[in-house]
Parts: sequence; C-alpha cells; structure tokens
Amino acid sequence: MREKKYIIILLFVITSFALIVFLTPILWMVLTSFKEKGEYFTYPPVFISRTIDLSHFKRGLEIGGQKGIIDSLIISLFATLLSMAVGSLAAYSLARFKIGGKHLAFWILSIRMMPPIASILPLFLLYRFLRILDTYQALVITYSILNIPFAVWMLKGFFEELPAELEEAALVDGAGRFSAFYRIALPLIAPGLVATALFCFMFSWNEFFFALIISRSRVTPLTVVISGMIGGHEILWAEIAAVATMASLPVIAIAVILQKYLVRGLTLGAVKG
Amino acid sequence: MPLLFILPCIIILAVISVFPFIYSLFLSLNSWELTMGEPRKFIGLANYARLFTEPRFWNSMWNMGKELIFGVTSQFVIGLLLALMLNRVIKVRSLISTLFLLPMMIAPVVVGCNWRMIYHFTYGPLNYALKLLHISREGFNWLGSTKLSMPSIIISDTWEWTPFMMIVLFAGLQSIPVELYEVARVDGASRWQQFLNITLPLLKPIIIVAVLIRAMDAFKIFDLVVLLTQGGPAGSSETIAYYNYLTGFKYFSVGYAASLAYIQLIIIVIIANVFLRFLPEKEAGK
Repeated sequence: MREKKYIIILLFVITSFALIVFLTPILWMVLTSFKEKGEYFTYPPVFISRTIDLSHFKRGLEIGGQKGIIDSLIISLFATLLSMAVGSLAAYSLARFKIGGKHLAFWILSIRMMPPIASILPLFLLYRFLRILDTYQALVITYSILNIPFAVWMLKGFFEELPAELEEAALVDGAGRFSAFYRIALPLIAPGLVATALFCFMFSWNEFFFALIISRSRVTPLTVVISGMIGGHEILWAEIAAVATMASLPVIAIAVILQKYLVRGLTLGAVKG
Repeated sequence: MPLLFILPCIIILAVISVFPFIYSLFLSLNSWELTMGEPRKFIGLANYARLFTEPRFWNSMWNMGKELIFGVTSQFVIGLLLALMLNRVIKVRSLISTLFLLPMMIAPVVVGCNWRMIYHFTYGPLNYALKLLHISREGFNWLGSTKLSMPSIIISDTWEWTPFMMIVLFAGLQSIPVELYEVARVDGASRWQQFLNITLPLLKPIIIVAVLIRAMDAFKIFDLVVLLTQGGPAGSSETIAYYNYLTGFKYFSVGYAASLAYIQLIIIVIIANVFLRFLPEKEAGK
C-alpha cells in the first residue's frame, strides 16, 4: 500500500476508539452480571468485580429467566418454522410463476413496514374474543406479520438467482411441480434458507412490543421478563445483567454466522452486500 | 398450481394484516372505551378531530420527529464516517465489522437495560466518566429531567443503529468500481473531489434506502422508551408509538387508539412507496 504511515496509525486510533464506544455498554452488562450486590450500587462505580460471582446467573434463571428462555425458544422456533414453510412456497411461486406480478410481491413486503400498532389493536380484540391471549399460538401467529413478508422477500431473491433449467429438467423427467420445488430448488438455496431462518429466529427472539401486549403470566417471553425485572421496586442489576447476557448469546452467535447475508437481510434485499 | 403455493401465505397475511387494517379503520370511526363498559358508538371522524387538537398527540409526534431529525441524521453521519474508515481498513475487517454490529443484533430491550445502568444518576459509569473528565461537576440527570430524557433515548438509539448505517453504506462503498477512483486520480482530482463527485452520487440510492428504513423505524421507537423513561418525566420523552400503546392498552380507548394508528399507517404507506421505488428491479427483462 502507498498509504503513509501516519494515516495507518490514525485509522488504527479512530477504529479502536469507535470500537470502545460501541462495545463498552455491552461489556458493562457482562461485567455487571458478575458483580456482588454492593458493587453495582457504589460510587465510584466498580468496573471489574473482585470476585467472579456466577450465582446471579442461577438466581436470574430462578426469578423468571428460565421460563423466559424456554418460552422465547418455543415461540421463536415455531414462528420461524411457520414462516419458512409458508414463506418458501410463496417465494417460489412469486419467483417462478411471477404470480401477481410486481404488485403482489410489493404488497407482501409492505406489510413488514407497517406500524405494528395498526394490526395489533384489532388482533388483540380478536384474540380476546377467541380466548387465546397469553398463549404460544397467539404469539407465533402474530410474529408472522414480521416474519412471513421478510421470508417471502428474502427467499424470492434466492430463488430468482437460481437458474430454472434444473427444475425444468426434472419436470420433463416426470416430476411434479412440488417435488421439483422440494427436491431440487430448496436444497440448492440451502444457505439462503438457513440465513433467512436465522433472521426470523432473531426477530422473534428480540421482539418486545407484541410480546408485551399478548403475554400475561402463562407465557412470558424473555424480553418481557427482562423489562418486568426493571419495573420492580428493588432493581437487581446483577441478575438482570445476567439474564440479558444470556439473552444476547444466541443473537451474537447468529451475527457471526450471518455476516455474509446481514446487509441483504437488514435492508429487505434492497442492498445486496 | 402456482396459486396453491402462495395461498397459505395470502390467507395468513389476510387474517393477521388485511383484516386488522380494515377493522382498524372501522374502529377509528367509533367511540369505544373498553374499560367503561359502554357499547361501541359510531362517531364518524370525531376521533380524528380530537387527535388533531390533542396537545399530547402533537407532543408525541414532535418527540418522534426529534428522533427522526437528530437520531437518524447522527446515525447517518457517524455511520458514513465508520463505513469510509472500514473501507480503508484491510486487516481483520470482518472481525471488526462483526464487533460493530453487536449493538444492533442484541435485543432492544437488552439495549434499554444497558443504558438504564449507564445513565444512572449516582452510580452510572457515564456520569462518573464526565466527572472524572471535569465536564460536569454533578453529573447529568439523563433520564430524570425533561430536557435530557429525549436526547438520552436518541443517544441510545444512535448507539444501537449507527452500525446498521455503517454496514449498509459499507456495502455500497464496496460496490463502487475502483477504476473510477483511479481515473479520477490520473485526472488530478483530490480526495475530497473524489468523495463529492464519485462516492456520494453512486452511494445516493443506498443512502436513501437506509434513511427510509430508519425513518419508518422512528415511528416504531418503543422498547427504549419503555425501558428508559416510560415517556417521562412529564411526557417529555413520550413518542407516538408509546402514546399510541398507552391509549390502546392502558386507557383502552380503542377507537381513539385506532385513529392514532391510522394516521401513522397513512404516513408510513407514503414512505414505504418511496422505498419500494428504490428496490432493484431483479431480472426485469427475463
């Protein structure tokens, strides 16, 4: 490189500074989860705990964290499965048969962008009427508002990048449309399927607004548990930080795996990355 | 057959999205106080008339506007600087970009938690650092003062979403052919001229897409408000999403809440239409 030395040093300094700014709050959370009670309510603040106290993780799990993790897992898994099953079929139809043309595809995508409050108000009344408030089903179905349009749009892109010849060959050989889709097209976009599913999982795992409205006491997603802990009279920061840290681990793993598809997913396919 | 493939999707979306939008419109023309036990009553456009004269509505729109103006702008500016920086870092680039992305990947609720600790007036590390650097003697009452509550939310939101701008703009920078810069350099263009005449114009569609996505998100800013301030003190950080949530699910004024939701829906539809125009036309000729 022809870069002058001072530019390289300057870049290094700026990058490090920016990284510190963006990582300190996360680091603070992890550090807090190890602190004893006296250590998170002191001045000056203690940065690194004297003892590494893992008991808060156990205690955090006991006061709702465990139920939260299990509920969030169940809801996120089923919401992802539903969206992937329904979404991949629809995406295939849009990509291969151009069904409904551009308008149908755009309509599906635009649902993703609508303010969630506009759909949850009538849905809340509907769920109340059907007596399915505070159930897994209600949350799984509601998360489709976010996940189905997303899955359709992402997978449509992946199917379009796939040459149609292979499926056509199978059709000539006597395979049905469904088996051409299931046996040939789906396996060929496997990386795209995994990426899309991970995104859906992450959206469901992190979701708070719908969860807060639909859940009560029987079903308590992790985000609702965490926010409830903060509303309490005595805020148990170490326990909250421990649960929040556990809540962050899966999405951090997803971030690492998704790297290649992040831009595409986050811009709804508008930027390829 | 093609219809059979897409049918499940259409049915589900119709139930969870089309039906609600239509029913919302109907609700917004009614007065329905769920807690009072009174029956629903058709009142025409009265909810909308009330909304436009309601100071709390305008206050919450203005708070959302602050996030839109100050939050999205700073996310864009810092994000662009970071993207330009990342574009010149060659070593360990993917590790660095993954680390930058963490704030955006973790749940907004967790982000709220973190900042609640950081902003703490007496025990928070932020005020401690400010006192240490002699920027402030007492420290700032980040979440408890009417002046700072909204800026605090905007700062947290900027921390969370600047990485989004960074990664999207970085992808845009990567797609600009290097040859363009080489030609410009041969022609004697300075770095600043290259930035103004090559980088910015070619980045324009991506900038618009990124800003529009964040603009639509501004309407939805809810999680941080709940975790940091609950709209307080004195409504100083009540955003439209939070106000709408309160009217619908705390005061149970169903009709009024639906009219609030509909106003946002109309604005978002307009923004979304602009956004869709910027989507790449995939294989349009095929």
